[in-house]
Amino acid sequence: MFPVEYYIGVGFLLFFIGVIGVIARRNIFTIFMSIELMLNAVNLMFVAFAHAHANMDGHAIAMIVMAIAAAEAAFGLAIVIIMFKSRESLDIDLFKSIRG
Amino acid sequence: MLANLLFIGFTLFAVGGAIGLILFKHPLNGALSFIITLLSLAGFYAMLNAKTVMLMQIIVYAGAIMILMVFVIMYLNVTNKDLLTEKKTPAIIGTTALLSPLFYFSIKAISSSDIQNKALPENFGEIKEVGTQLFGSWMLPFELISILLLVAVVGVIVLAQMRRDNVSC
Repeated sequence: MFPVEYYIGVGFLLFFIGVIGVIARRNIFTIFMSIELMLNAVNLMFVAFAHAHANMDGHAIAMIVMAIAAAEAAFGLAIVIIMFKSRESLDIDLFKSIRG
Repeated sequence: MLANLLFIGFTLFAVGGAIGLILFKHPLNGALSFIITLLSLAGFYAMLNAKTVMLMQIIVYAGAIMILMVFVIMYLNVTNKDLLTEKKTPAIIGTTALLSPLFYFSIKAISSSDIQNKALPENFGEIKEVGTQLFGSWMLPFELISILLLVAVVGVIVLAQMRRDNVSC
């Protein structure tokens, strides 16, 4: 079994891929999912540290992060639908103001 | 031995799915490859004795959240003419070059630390123990989450109403 540092390394890799997605892409959906990818990478690190320290606080934090991600997805997708209806585009550069 | 093979396989699937997410042009392809990443993360949780978190990952994340995402992409009927022509390759190469020192130092920091694995207690990560934790020392955040979800539900309904009132907005 690999030591816990390897899991943290995978978490870092996924997190930085998420940052690259947010900075480099302009499609609103891809940016949204990259943010979710970053949340997941941090979740993986929490669970890995919980395993290493034999302490279950990390599991509770991971669950709370999942609930926050669900709320964020519901809200964000509603805003994306309204923006897409008014702008007819997925380009994040056109979404400069939040008012229609 | 099997655990090592599983770790390598999950790593390959997770990183491959994440790279697919940021490289695919159509968001639907990206969403499907991101689901692969989420499922391999569930595999990681299972290897780390976090059974409850694994179940929640599959049901809530790969199930509910990503299906909502895929539904919205399909509902908006994103066709090829909606997709913007973006110069992906230079942007991705530039960002990678910008972030690689940060990644290098993170890996260096984690490899130079010595984390001693403690022996796991008997029922580590079972649903009863996580529930006790969640309703014990994490009581306040747990209750705040319910308020947050309520606010999200009300907010989404208000946003949907706004769309119906002025269609031309």
